[in-house]
Amino acid sequence: MMSERNWPFWALIALLVITHFALHLAVGLGATAPDLVTPAVLLAGRRARGSVAAGLGFGLGLLQDSLSLDAFGAEAVTLTLLGYLGARSRDLFVGDNAVFLLVYLFSGKWLHDAIFYLLSGTPDHGGTAVWLLVFSPLAALYAAVAGVVAMAAYHSVTGQR
Amino acid sequence: MGNYFDGTRRGRRRDAAIAGGFLLLALLLLLVPASYQTPLRSAIRGTALRPFLAVQAELVSRRARSVDVSQLRAERDSLAAVVAAQASLVEENRRLRALLGLRGRAQPAFRPAELIRAGVPGAESTFFIDIGSRDGVVVGSPVLAAGGLLGVIQSVEEHTAQGIDWTHPQFRASAMTADGDAYGIVEPRRGRFREEDLLTLTGAPFHTDIRPGTRVVTTGRGGIYPRGIPLGTVVGIDEADTGWRKNYLLRPAVRPEGVTHVLVAIRREGETGDLSPLWQVDAPADTQETGAAAGVGAGTRQP
Repeated sequence: MMSERNWPFWALIALLVITHFALHLAVGLGATAPDLVTPAVLLAGRRARGSVAAGLGFGLGLLQDSLSLDAFGAEAVTLTLLGYLGARSRDLFVGDNAVFLLVYLFSGKWLHDAIFYLLSGTPDHGGTAVWLLVFSPLAALYAAVAGVVAMAAYHSVTGQR
Repeated sequence: MGNYFDGTRRGRRRDAAIAGGFLLLALLLLLVPASYQTPLRSAIRGTALRPFLAVQAELVSRRARSVDVSQLRAERDSLAAVVAAQASLVEENRRLRALLGLRGRAQPAFRPAELIRAGVPGAESTFFIDIGSRDGVVVGSPVLAAGGLLGVIQSVEEHTAQGIDWTHPQFRASAMTADGDAYGIVEPRRGRFREEDLLTLTGAPFHTDIRPGTRVVTTGRGGIYPRGIPLGTVVGIDEADTGWRKNYLLRPAVRPEGVTHVLVAIRREGETGDLSPLWQVDAPADTQETGAAAGVGAGTRQP
């Protein structure tokens, strides 16, 4: 049985999403705040069926896309893909410790950024190579650490593994 | 962490098919024309994201209300002095125009607005304002900050609008030096970091030397930006194009990061207006018409 009826876990996912939009949109922190939507989709992918994770990615992607002028749909495609790949990653990797989670979230976020900018064509600062090898890994590390901290808090509160 | 190996092969196929459906739908949304995307975008912003946007608008309002009163008083006094000094000039202009039988120059009206930043990937260099079509904002309305031009509106709804600032790759403005000596097109020049973004005056005539410190303002050509809005100050030559033209780097008049309150120019049909007096632009008023009449485009020196 999957964890789709595990409401504390889905409450964590909802909390990550609300926190993301609160920090980025309501408080207006922008890149100063970590991306919490991508870790939410990746974490959901580790517990839910591929279709559920893809659906979640699609919905959250649309939320992000509604704020974009240039690339409506790019985030939806990226997160849908990432949700499904996250679910399929269970076939390849088994684990739930902090180091595994950090590597998983880091890789997922880096992949997210690469796919997103490939689709949206949004040029960023410093050129594509510098961006992919410097800025994106930093953002990925930031998001991964935030995701690991969120999971650690979840484990300590619920006592679940 | 629960059961990792779920379902049968058939179940997995069904799972993959549903996920594929979502992916196809997302791809469809990415590829459909913008006119089909806009209603969906508006609906999501007006429902699921509305509380977050409302909170940011409220925070911006509160921050503005907490500004030091003495600073506000100093700004008010400075503005009062400028207005008093210009009042006599305006009256003199009006009388001279009446004597010559000229109608008054069209001036855009302004609406104050609060600026809201989305702060998510894909929304870099864009912003929201808390006024929309109900207040007369249209696609192409220029957005001004205290120092000069911030950007332009790209999408309008009834109560809100979304625009791009000058750091956006699609930003362009017809520009001239404040003395009217050289014309060109201003576009963004991205730095390694957002804080290093500058503007470039492209297509300036090769034989004209624009000295560092020269102010560059909008020309009023193209029907988007009123004439005379500061864009930036020349820092130096960016590049010279084999004897034909020069590009100059500009230090922008407005840094988008710090802007929270703006003015949106609401213009009349077919008129862009002239804001030269507001920023003491010296270029003769008739350079635009002279250039146009002579069939001279951007990037040429005016007589």
